[in-house]
Amino acid sequence: PSLTLPNIPSGCGQQQEAIGMETRPETFSIFRTQENDPACQSEQHLGQYYTVPPSHFHTVFPHGLPPRYQQQVKTFNEGCVMVRQPALELISHLKRADYSKPTLRYLLYGVKGSGKTMSLCHTVHYCSTQGWLVLHIPDAHLWVKNCKELLPSSYHASRFDQPIQASNWLRNFRTTNEHFLSKIKLRQRYVWTKRESTEEGRPLGELVDMGVSRVKSSSDVVGAVLKELRLQAGGTEGGFRLAVAVDGVNGLWGRTTLKKEDKSPVAPEELTLVHNLRKMINNDWCGGAVIATLSQTGSLYAPSSAYLPQELLGEEGFDSMDPFVPVPVSLYSEKEFESCYLYYLDHIHFHHWLQHPHSQTEEGKKELIFLSNRNPSVLERLCAFL
Amino acid sequence: MASTSGLRTTLSKMAASLTGLLKPWTPRVLLVRWSRYNPYYLEPEPRKEVYHIPETELTPEQKEERELKSVRPIKAATNSVTSSVFNDPVLSKFVNMMMKDGDKIIAKGIITQTLENMKRKQVEKYHKAPEGKKAEIECNPYAIFHQALENCKPVIGLASIQKGGKFYQVPIPLTDNRRRFLAMKWMITECRDNKHRRTLMYEKLSQELLAAFSKEGNVVKRKHELHKMAESNRAYAHYRWW
Repeated sequence: PSLTLPNIPSGCGQQQEAIGMETRPETFSIFRTQENDPACQSEQHLGQYYTVPPSHFHTVFPHGLPPRYQQQVKTFNEGCVMVRQPALELISHLKRADYSKPTLRYLLYGVKGSGKTMSLCHTVHYCSTQGWLVLHIPDAHLWVKNCKELLPSSYHASRFDQPIQASNWLRNFRTTNEHFLSKIKLRQRYVWTKRESTEEGRPLGELVDMGVSRVKSSSDVVGAVLKELRLQAGGTEGGFRLAVAVDGVNGLWGRTTLKKEDKSPVAPEELTLVHNLRKMINNDWCGGAVIATLSQTGSLYAPSSAYLPQELLGEEGFDSMDPFVPVPVSLYSEKEFESCYLYYLDHIHFHHWLQHPHSQTEEGKKELIFLSNRNPSVLERLCAFL
Repeated sequence: MASTSGLRTTLSKMAASLTGLLKPWTPRVLLVRWSRYNPYYLEPEPRKEVYHIPETELTPEQKEERELKSVRPIKAATNSVTSSVFNDPVLSKFVNMMMKDGDKIIAKGIITQTLENMKRKQVEKYHKAPEGKKAEIECNPYAIFHQALENCKPVIGLASIQKGGKFYQVPIPLTDNRRRFLAMKWMITECRDNKHRRTLMYEKLSQELLAAFSKEGNVVKRKHELHKMAESNRAYAHYRWW
């Protein structure tokens, strides 16, 4: 028996005419679409930009967007995402998957700068508009490097806690999933210290608040939150769907740059956060999906030309992730490049981004294609100073 | 310096007359950097438009030049020469002046970050401005850079001339190159010395350039002080003999 969860009615297509007329008179740009709901986007919208509604922006993406994109959003006063093939493919898989079976794992891979994180964020936007609970880890590499405080864990003798990273993540988790925090009840009693414990049946929000305020035990709180969500995701009464979105998943298996007090290196298994996250990525629970991205940029001890799953995950990682659905993210096609170029050139929305007079000619465009090789991030950096 | 340039001009005059006798001999190992090329070698032509003129539209001089280029060897082009449409000679000069220890990648990186920073600040200002003021805000970082440099160029300079045992600061006219050099030099030294220790160079440069664009800031102030000094030393103008 498959789960029947209420599908969020989105009224695709009907509301658009009402909204389209009020703010801007133009509705026929080739590179923009008024279809702002990821659930209703289809192949006809490929290559077009849709705007993430400003009201949702800070709740859905408190963390997780690439830093240069965040700067761009701040400068342009709007967050526009391009509808691309990998994201559409992922969303169609998510629509048709059977959620009573064990979770499917999707892995986005591609060369540096081809748009993996942006595709992940597009999918996360879809999941949150559909009412799923989103567990977005912005970058798993942040948990295995540059950690100033490494406390020995109270729960398990040989493991290490990372209070700052854990409390930051819990704060952002709270922003994303406000409405779920009061609905989910704990199924187990958690004892933090001799005097403090969280009883069964308390709402999840209390646990998260405790983790944010009591920084020392925040890593254990993260572990407890993950366990609860895993148990309750596939539940038939009051069940919700859980999306685990991990960016830079290759950081979980590999080496860390952290050292213990006797200067010996710390293996990733010895970190509580990594240990608990690995349990989430295993497909022994049902009622949700795991969407992961590989990333060479933040990775440790990986050559810069590596981008395939085998190279970046290593043997151990590949065996844990196997079986997964690989989703390749390629560079811009011609149509996508056109769309991106027109977006930066946009005068109606007064972006005024491509300012150099020669960049607006055919010659300049040919040169941009040559210099960037249609790589999205390289093109963005070029257009930034032109 | 004067002697080598004199030597070069006499050599080129000799070369003009000896061209028929010079052979295009190249040694096996050719040092290209800091080399004085055999005058037999011709300059490279980086511009694309020259090569796109069809055969029919060439003037006789251009035809002759093409004939010559097919027989004579050509000097190697330097690294800074591009056929790109985005090539800007003033900006390249600025990058070279900013460069330390021959590290052009870092200098070019700083300049691109500066241009981006200026553009971001102006675009944000544009979005916040009321409707009437929007047209006045300049968002093109290249236009701002050129205008700022123009605003920093001094019109008249001072030279130290010795007369009767004493040295006098005499106002003199400056060539275009000297004016451009002084403007760029002042901009770079101002940013390197007089700013807070922890701000990055591109941030300092963008602030200074935006200030110079609106004719405020320390560099324009320095230009005005130079003008005032020249004005106050008007009496010594006759000590100049060229």
